[in-house]
Amino acid sequence: MRLRTRLFLLVGGVVAVAVTLVTWSISTTARRSFETLDLQRTDALVLQCRRELATQQEDVKRRLDRLASTDLVLRTAHEIGRRGTDYAPFVNEAASLAALQGLDFLDLVADDGTIISSAHWPARFGYRQSWATNRRDGASGEAFLQAIDLPGETAIGLVAVRGVPSGARTIYIAGGRRLDQEFLKSLQLPPGIRALLYRNVEAEGSRQPLIDASGQRLQAAELQPLIARVKQTGQEHAETVQWPDGPETVHAIPLAGAGGGVLGVLLVASSGRELAALMSRIRWSGIGLGFLGVVIGSALSYVVSARVTRPVEEIADAARQVAAGDWSVRVGGMHGSGEIGELAQVFDGMAAQLVEQRERLVQAERVAAWRELARRLAHELKNPLFPLRLTVDNLRRARTLPPQEFEEILDESLSTLTTGFANLNTVVGGFSEFAKMPAPAFAKVAPNEVVERVVALFRAQMQAPGCPPIAVTLELDPSPEPIRADGEQLGRVVQNLLLNAIDAMPQGGQLRVRTERNGVSFRLDVTDTGKGLTEQERQRLFTPYYTTKQHGTGLGLAIVQSVVTDHFGKVWVDSVQGKGTTFHIELPTGAQPNGANA
Amino acid sequence: MRRFISVCLALASVGLATRVVQGARPRYGGTLRVEVEATIRSLDPAAATSDVAEAAARARVVGLVFEPLVTIDEHGLKPLLATSWESDPRGARWQIRLRSGVQLHDGSTLEAWHVASALRVSEPAWTIAVESGAVVISPREPLPDLPWLLADVRHAVVVRGSDGAFAGTGPFRIESREPGRLSLRAHDAYWNGRPFVDAIRIEMGRPAAAQLSDLESGHADVVAASALDARRITQRGLHIAASRPVDAIAVVFEPHRAMDTALAWRRTLSAAVNRASMSAVLLQRLAEPADALVPRWLSGYAPLFAFDRGPTLSRAAIAALPLDQRELTLRVDASDSLAHAIADRIAVDAREIGFTLKVQAPLGLAPRPDARLVRVRAPNTSPDRALAVLIERIANRDGGTVQATLPPGATLDAVYQAERQLLERSVVVPIVHLPDIYGFSDRVSTWNHTAVSESGAWNFADVWLRGGAP
Repeated sequence: MRLRTRLFLLVGGVVAVAVTLVTWSISTTARRSFETLDLQRTDALVLQCRRELATQQEDVKRRLDRLASTDLVLRTAHEIGRRGTDYAPFVNEAASLAALQGLDFLDLVADDGTIISSAHWPARFGYRQSWATNRRDGASGEAFLQAIDLPGETAIGLVAVRGVPSGARTIYIAGGRRLDQEFLKSLQLPPGIRALLYRNVEAEGSRQPLIDASGQRLQAAELQPLIARVKQTGQEHAETVQWPDGPETVHAIPLAGAGGGVLGVLLVASSGRELAALMSRIRWSGIGLGFLGVVIGSALSYVVSARVTRPVEEIADAARQVAAGDWSVRVGGMHGSGEIGELAQVFDGMAAQLVEQRERLVQAERVAAWRELARRLAHELKNPLFPLRLTVDNLRRARTLPPQEFEEILDESLSTLTTGFANLNTVVGGFSEFAKMPAPAFAKVAPNEVVERVVALFRAQMQAPGCPPIAVTLELDPSPEPIRADGEQLGRVVQNLLLNAIDAMPQGGQLRVRTERNGVSFRLDVTDTGKGLTEQERQRLFTPYYTTKQHGTGLGLAIVQSVVTDHFGKVWVDSVQGKGTTFHIELPTGAQPNGANA
Repeated sequence: MRRFISVCLALASVGLATRVVQGARPRYGGTLRVEVEATIRSLDPAAATSDVAEAAARARVVGLVFEPLVTIDEHGLKPLLATSWESDPRGARWQIRLRSGVQLHDGSTLEAWHVASALRVSEPAWTIAVESGAVVISPREPLPDLPWLLADVRHAVVVRGSDGAFAGTGPFRIESREPGRLSLRAHDAYWNGRPFVDAIRIEMGRPAAAQLSDLESGHADVVAASALDARRITQRGLHIAASRPVDAIAVVFEPHRAMDTALAWRRTLSAAVNRASMSAVLLQRLAEPADALVPRWLSGYAPLFAFDRGPTLSRAAIAALPLDQRELTLRVDASDSLAHAIADRIAVDAREIGFTLKVQAPLGLAPRPDARLVRVRAPNTSPDRALAVLIERIANRDGGTVQATLPPGATLDAVYQAERQLLERSVVVPIVHLPDIYGFSDRVSTWNHTAVSESGAWNFADVWLRGGAP
């Protein structure tokens, strides 16, 4: 994994973790805060419901007080008292009186409990209504909750009772307002809060007694356990109800009648759905911001990592170029300061030192080569010169000899000088030939023929009497396909390798020549069973004028390497000391590498 | 000072006395404004209609324009256009002599052939002839009580002109007909004396509430009223007049509730209805508790039914009944507020003994009820004919559950037995008998408050208006 990738992942990961932690922290804190606020709000609304109920009670009480003191009621009461028990003329009075004060319920009740007139159930005249006459608490009586019979149903009423003098008797006006959806509407609840009214005044199973502010009857089996607990204990309870679309915290307030029985249950429900939606919005906002943060962090980390790693990569590229041989690469001008700049400067210094050392090395190599050349020249020239100097010395001494002897000595000396000059000429020619190595003339060449021709030239020498025998083995590739090469130079390569192998086996041995075509390449292996090469010899093997032989120019293998290089091939050597050496040559069959054929 | 006060008191007394005398003295002129809820589509007495309200309104209006040969009052048969009648012992041939000098609305004199022609339209099955200025009627079957039959408004004498116009002998003639309004003009040559008012303008199709409002605001002189409105009318200084009870209100159980196995709880439900309280309080003593279908004033035997209702169920037994037998639906006419109020009271009475009775007043399609509250009009005729008509009208609405056979001219005992047989099954449960009630403005005056007769007919010929023409 690259440094840039590692840096990017590291910075990005740190940013992502940091953003996630912050988002989670904010979300958790916000949720707890909202839950606390929701709890406080619900408590406030429950208190508001109680106050609204108290306000309605006070309102009913005031309405009854006002109604009881109107002339119409006083006159009606007086008229009822005057007529005795003939209530027929007053059967419709309650409706108009109720309308006068905006009451939902109103009964005119005689002191024996007989309904004289009923606004909410006109047909019920003549029957007894006990709760009105049982609460003869006069003009100051508080309003209370009461189950009110209506045609077809029973409602919860917030009612009050007032007595009105009726001659020697008293009639009672008992009326009030219905506790229904209008009451629920009057609570003016904020969004997310709803109020429900459970009426415990109707027969079980007769109808669904749970209504909301719109008057809609609800099916709510989930609320029944809470309602049942309130009915049983008469105390407030609260619990969270799980609906399919979310939780809802429900506070149940018992609505107790005058007798203490629970006539209804007021349910104030705070929907967790709103809170959940709010939390969801916060969560998603956090996720969104977190995602944005991660994206920005990632981009930032990419930029930072790129900024940090770019000079490192450039230095690495420069190092690779240097390794590839481009010693002129410098990175010092790209970065001015800091560790990277220092690194660049060190790199440039190191590259400069390398160049300097290489130049010194080259110089040293050059000096060494010249020395070697001088040594070889001195060696090669000193050997032929020494007999020449002796011959000249003999001639000088032979001047005193008789002419005949002198002539003989002169002839011998001249022959020796001629031979010596020939040797010198040979040495100089070799050096000249190496210096004048021409460019190869590529043509279609049958490599096996070249190998066989050269081996044939040496076969007589290797098997000459008195010489240690060398057995030659040819393992030639049967493919007749020619290769593109310079046949003469290729022959010289084979010749040098064979000479080298023969020289390596002064005691005789085995020589194996092997050719092989392998796709687009031609390979030649020449193996001898000589004493092998030392490591030092292997390293300097192809150095011109280097030789381990008494009478070698040191140019044979240099020529081999030169020809192979000119044919875009390669040469290498395997050697095991004491067992022998194998020279490998590999040439492209097209004589140009990688499709660079002309 | 004392003398001055005495003089002032004397002048005030004279003025008050003059005003009282003027209020009691009839005066001619003015237009009587009448409002009815129904729309009368034809004034032909012989025309048939299925609309009960229209039939009732038409009977009242027709009585102002056309007259039958005889009429019925509290004393029995009374001659009107006929002066006498006689028949053979079987009642197969009747000879009726007519009042002379009766002038029709078109100015011609009423002749026997006019009467014969009119009766041939209303009773095509009869053989009717004119002999010596008298009308001779030979019914297909002997009719011993034919004069009672002739008192029906359907047999009022109508002279049909060639142009389709109707002429009668009543105190008013038809002046004009417009959509929703009928104008009558006083018949100056009326044989029983010209009416006091010059004209009657009848507004048709006025809802009951609008009529009451018009009466209270002075835009109407005569309106149909309900017993529920009686106290409201009198409290505003207006007055009401009522006929004898003519409408029978009864609960009729549907066939699926009319089985003999349910007889006990039907009786129990019938006995639970407090008819007296309903009549006295809800209906302001303007109705009579009904123990029988035929009104008491017509039959006389109705009280006998009050003491013989048969065994009923206890509350415990009712509580033990299956729920579907304790819960009943009672259907009422949605446009009849009085019937709705009566049904509500029946529901209260039923609730007290353990029944749940739901009142259903559908405006459209509704589930099948268990019982219906029907309102049928008892004709002003003999008891046997009244019972027959009542049974027929109930049966028309009931679909055949209620049946009784009563031969023409049956005796009162036979009528009683027939009705007893009918009511014993408690499929038909009479509740109350209601009169026709009218509210009158304070402009309307009559002698002896006879603007509406006991039979419910309008006696507007005897009405005069105080304060001159509107």
